[in-house]
Amino acid sequence: MLEAVNVTKEFGPNRALNGVSLRVEAGEIYCLLGANGAGKTTLINLFLNFHQPTSGSVWINGRDVASAPIDTKRDVAYIPEQVMLYGMLTGLENLDYFAALATGQRQPKDHLVALLAEAGLPADAVDRRVSNYSKGMRQKVGIAIALAKNARALLLDEPTSGLDPSAANEFSQLLVRAQERGVAILTTTHDLFHAKQTGTRVGIMKRGNLMSELDSADVSHNDLEALYLQHMRD
Amino acid sequence: MLGLIARKEFREFVRDGRMIWAGGLMVVLLITSVLLGWQQQAAVQAERVASQELDYDAWLNQGPRHPHNAADQGMHVFKPSPPLSIIDPGIDPFVGSTIWLQAHRQGETKFRPAQDATGLKRFGNLSPAWIVQVLAPLLIIILGFSAFATEREQGTLRQLLSMGVAGRQLMWGKALALVLALGVLIVPGALLALGALAGGASGDVLLRFALLCLGYALYLGAVIFIVLGVSAMCRHSRTALFVLLALWIGAVLIAPRTIADVATRTFPSPSRVGFDEALSADLDGASEKEWMRNFNVSSAWDPKLPLSQWGKALQVDDHSGYGVLDDHFGRLWDTFERQQKLQEAAGVVAPVVALRAFSMAVSGTDFSHHRHFSNQAEKQRRLLQEVVSHDLIEHADPLGDRHFSYKAGPELWAKVPRFTYDPPGVGFALRKHWLSLAVLIAIFLASLLFARTAVTRRLSA
Repeated sequence: MLEAVNVTKEFGPNRALNGVSLRVEAGEIYCLLGANGAGKTTLINLFLNFHQPTSGSVWINGRDVASAPIDTKRDVAYIPEQVMLYGMLTGLENLDYFAALATGQRQPKDHLVALLAEAGLPADAVDRRVSNYSKGMRQKVGIAIALAKNARALLLDEPTSGLDPSAANEFSQLLVRAQERGVAILTTTHDLFHAKQTGTRVGIMKRGNLMSELDSADVSHNDLEALYLQHMRD
Repeated sequence: MLGLIARKEFREFVRDGRMIWAGGLMVVLLITSVLLGWQQQAAVQAERVASQELDYDAWLNQGPRHPHNAADQGMHVFKPSPPLSIIDPGIDPFVGSTIWLQAHRQGETKFRPAQDATGLKRFGNLSPAWIVQVLAPLLIIILGFSAFATEREQGTLRQLLSMGVAGRQLMWGKALALVLALGVLIVPGALLALGALAGGASGDVLLRFALLCLGYALYLGAVIFIVLGVSAMCRHSRTALFVLLALWIGAVLIAPRTIADVATRTFPSPSRVGFDEALSADLDGASEKEWMRNFNVSSAWDPKLPLSQWGKALQVDDHSGYGVLDDHFGRLWDTFERQQKLQEAAGVVAPVVALRAFSMAVSGTDFSHHRHFSNQAEKQRRLLQEVVSHDLIEHADPLGDRHFSYKAGPELWAKVPRFTYDPPGVGFALRKHWLSLAVLIAIFLASLLFARTAVTRRLSA
């Protein structure tokens, strides 16, 4: 569903990605771990065609992103570390706008309100302007947007950053439900515990390289932590 | 999709107050200027019609007198105020509206409203055309500078692009929002102006109004795409605002004056004194020549010429001047038109210059229309002279030395018809100013291309 084939990305003299290949199948949650600057966000950006690979290719649902940048985005939903919304609009109006842009048609208000509730946004915040929202509340609207899009793949760039533990847990539940519906999920995170608990596979990145890939069912939390720290030290 | 984007943009314009404060001010100014223009145009037109009637009545009822004295006193003709001067008074306040038709000399318009205007009155002459030409672009900048730059700064652009929205769709949606905003702000004033015109407006006036709308739509459309293009190119909204304000000051405030200066330097027109001196010299020369050729005398108005030929002499003298007047005024006016053409072409640099020329032309308040009126007035003057000279030849010259005892009456005065001015149709305006329309179309297309290119190249997150 999501595939990177031997992808290299250079920004001037700096190589952000170095021949990275990975594949995320439908119904799989792939967690990318790595320190800041490891290349996790760059990889997400390549899937969104925000950058083009220097060499190699990225594919969504069997289509080359570089060849079909608009069409491939229709198959994915994206939640960044900080969901940016229009401060002058309410949470509901933001969702209405983004959902309509993503799906090509406006969705019933009841449905949108239900999506916001499912994402964990308090009911009394739905009709308030987003300029008054906390970071966590914005994140929840971002989640609702992703839900509204009903995409076949999710690209998440440190999505639980800024969420309180309870909200982060709820978010993990949402991911699991999406996975059960057959959605392919690629998420970056610093949170080893989250990666082990939620992910079906885990990749560890360092300085643009995918150092190792493992099934999370095959490793304990301690083993994962040890492996991660070992890569970081090398 | 476009409607969705436009709706959201429009909602933001309203909620953040830009539409209410900046736009509201423009609506008030626009409606006030249309109402004032309407009232002023109606008053001026009624005044001119009444003055024309009074003046012609005075001509008809001047009593028995020597026809040449009557010709010396002459009559006045009043330029009708074009209906669309409600929107664009053009050069009318600066060139005057009344021509004194008298013997021997081609008249020029006088009674210029601008001549008597105080500073406050000049502010009172704020026209709808000026508001849309100068202030509407500023409003578009205020509404549109942040279109892409702020989205990029705030990160919403990434969010949008991740939805699978193409940059061009965003551009068209945002352009549509600006069109809607301008529509809300300008259409009431335009409808009010149309309502003012509708009472007795001819098809020609309505066609001119439609063309006026087209010209302004091309201009404002170009401004919209330039603003969106700059916003897409700039990384920060502050930079976009700075660049756009600099462009506005340069293109709307500074360039028109500079271009006008360049035009007058490229095609210099004579000074008033210089023109009058040259004209008088040539008139005298032509007159002398014709007097000598026709009457074998040493100079014009030679006392040796018998009074039995005085009427004929007046006619010869008048005829000798026609070619000179046509030549001098023709050259002067051609110079003005060349200056105008150069300015129209320079509209490529400052679209407001091309729009101004087109707007005045279509409103019937430009120099070409003024020249057309002046030519009609001169025809009337020559007709008056011909009637008078012919009568003198027929009735006064046979009296010999008692030539000046002859007095004509109402029958002669009635031979000079009432002056009626038939203004040229819209085709005249288009023939004269096709260049400014072509420049506006070219600028519109170039701006669209610029915005598309900027959006395509720069709209990566």
